[in-house]
Amino acid sequence: MDLVGISLSRRAFLAALAALPLLREEELPPAAQKVIRERFGDRPIRTGHVQLDAPESAPDGRTVPLFIESDLPMTPADYVKSFHVIVDHNPDVYLAGFHLTPAMGEAAIDTRIKMRRSSHVRVIAETSRGELWSAAQMVYVTMNGCV
Amino acid sequence: MTPTNRPAIELAPPQTGTGDAKVLVPARVQRNAVLHVRALLAHPMLTGLSRDAEGKPIPAYWVKEVRVTYGGDPVARFEWSSGISRDPYVAFPLKAAREAPLTVTWTDNRGAVFTQTADIRFG
Repeated sequence: MDLVGISLSRRAFLAALAALPLLREEELPPAAQKVIRERFGDRPIRTGHVQLDAPESAPDGRTVPLFIESDLPMTPADYVKSFHVIVDHNPDVYLAGFHLTPAMGEAAIDTRIKMRRSSHVRVIAETSRGELWSAAQMVYVTMNGCV
Repeated sequence: MTPTNRPAIELAPPQTGTGDAKVLVPARVQRNAVLHVRALLAHPMLTGLSRDAEGKPIPAYWVKEVRVTYGGDPVARFEWSSGISRDPYVAFPLKAAREAPLTVTWTDNRGAVFTQTADIRFG
């Protein structure tokens, strides 16, 4: 594969792709890091199994639609216990926690949030077995919505 | 810019009917189908960061907690900051395991409690 004149083997390219989630971790601003450390300590947070659907650009920060869903099982033995929503640059970094039970049948939440400025929106799904799965998306905001 | 000389954000006109609540479910559902529940509450959801026209801070006023029960059993609990939009809307799935009332209870930071119920019926 030839990318901008740099010859990159398929293997090296895949390795670079695999390193991406780590880069995303490093991007975490201190406030978000603090919230994650307080809530989850040093538990590993992996990427995947949770989907976050938000607009790439939100003209009005007062109402940014957010759809969260997970393909993880919802059985009494193993279910998604919580979705934790973190917005890096909001006054309240920990925006909301949605605590679910297997009686819901599926793990999904649809809501609308406020955003102060362009920021990553992150969601962490916590399972009843204590696993943590995450997804993140950058949302560009034109108008401050923290009123 | 210090907070005191920050221009007041123009808010939509004061709303009436804070506490009006709706819980929307299909009129008839099949047993064990996963249905889509929509819950809506009229509430200002103020962060406490904005100011009125005279520059006085508008105190924070927001829904802290939402509890959902189905036939009396808790099925979901939402823990909110004031970062949820005004007139908070939330939709979530529910497995229709039995014919029973579905109740959503919102509690705000001043202790006001708003409740709305919808009946899950098979048909």
